[in-house]
Amino acid sequence: MKHFDKIRQVKLARIGRRQFLILLTSILLGFLIIMQARSFTDVTAMIGRDTRADVFREIKILKSTNEKLGDEISDLEDQLIKTSDSGKALEGIAEEILKYRLLTGRVNVSGPGLELTLTGDIKALWLTDIVNELFNAGAEAVGVNGIRLTDKTIGFDTIPNGQILLNGAILKSPFVFTAIGDKQVLKDALEQPHGILQRLSQSLGGVEMALVQKDIVEMEKAL
Amino acid sequence: MPTLSWRTYLVFVATGVFIGLLVTTQVKSSLPSSSYIYDQLAVQKELIKDYVDDQAMLKSKIVALRAKIEENQANIRQSSKDTNLETLKELKNDIGLSSAKGGGVEINLTDGFFVNRENIEEVDQSLVQASDLRDIVNLFRSAKATAISINDQRVIASTPISSVGNTIMVNNYHVLPPFNIVALGDPELIMPLLSGEGALPDLQARVSQFKIQFSASAKNALSVPVYNGNLTIEFLQESSKGNQ
Repeated sequence: MKHFDKIRQVKLARIGRRQFLILLTSILLGFLIIMQARSFTDVTAMIGRDTRADVFREIKILKSTNEKLGDEISDLEDQLIKTSDSGKALEGIAEEILKYRLLTGRVNVSGPGLELTLTGDIKALWLTDIVNELFNAGAEAVGVNGIRLTDKTIGFDTIPNGQILLNGAILKSPFVFTAIGDKQVLKDALEQPHGILQRLSQSLGGVEMALVQKDIVEMEKAL
Repeated sequence: MPTLSWRTYLVFVATGVFIGLLVTTQVKSSLPSSSYIYDQLAVQKELIKDYVDDQAMLKSKIVALRAKIEENQANIRQSSKDTNLETLKELKNDIGLSSAKGGGVEINLTDGFFVNRENIEEVDQSLVQASDLRDIVNLFRSAKATAISINDQRVIASTPISSVGNTIMVNNYHVLPPFNIVALGDPELIMPLLSGEGALPDLQARVSQFKIQFSASAKNALSVPVYNGNLTIEFLQESSKGNQ
């Protein structure tokens, strides 16, 4: 009888250990499933085309935008004063015309900025995203392979053989982006952690990138 | 002799996985657990709301000032012939400083059902992304659209369309779904590009899987508002080369 009790106790202990191990393994499995799901989420976010920026960046962008809008209001108020004064009105109009000629790409322009060269097989959507990032960082003029981007520019298009068109012209690698603006702000925006260049590099391996800040960037007028 | 049936094993495994999921979710949860952090979030949201309200006020002031300047310039035209006002008007049209009307294409785009854009950690294909809007705008530009707007924000060459968390900003201004995207131009050029194979592949795939809602239609009478953002120049200057 005692012998059977002992066997029973040993078996019970074994079963208890087994149950415990199963439970432990299952908990570990559950943990791994969640970690894996979260890791996919993170990867999606990282290689996705949009930055998953936080609330502080949002506040920073809004603050900076409002400051620029305030500057614009000051300029417009000066302009308004000039238009109210018949002596200065023509001068004000001439200044406005010059400003809009610069912005619309009617004249060759120059200024500090940067040049970004990408070499490799890149889809048109990434080119759109880089242009967007440059303007988002405050670029006042952007060109791609010598084509100045304005409101009249025909957008990026991919033709059936895979070639990319911009304003009706075929774009070939290397893709050279030129931007006029605050060169440090532009560089920081492109190179920020999880920024456009990092995401592009993670999504498309084998793309060579060269970023050069320049005191003077020259850009030809739009055709 | 006590032996465990496969059912018992299954119950143990299921219980274990369930507990594991619960524990991990709890441990990894980013939900704030103290009222202090809740307060911080509330303050941040309030701050953002204040900035957005200020921005709307500043933009309406800019529109009013530009209109007043134009009015004064029109008066100058009456008193003096040599004012280049036609040139100025043409440039303003080109840059989006005048409203535009005409035929074109209207797109309505919104998130899928059952997604919560408020959850900043949500990365879901059922949410409209800033890249979707950028792709549509680029497609419109490829089809030679003459004026484009998203939720009444005029899109010009330098308009950034970006995302901050799950918020989308156009001209650094908050826009929320549903998105109404208007392009003035020739619908005969735009519609085939929109429906063409290979156009907007990511968006088309999600629409066909009912993840997001999309509709496009050609219309005769559409309008695009005036650009109400910043056009200040700080670095750009006329080049000394080749402008003769």
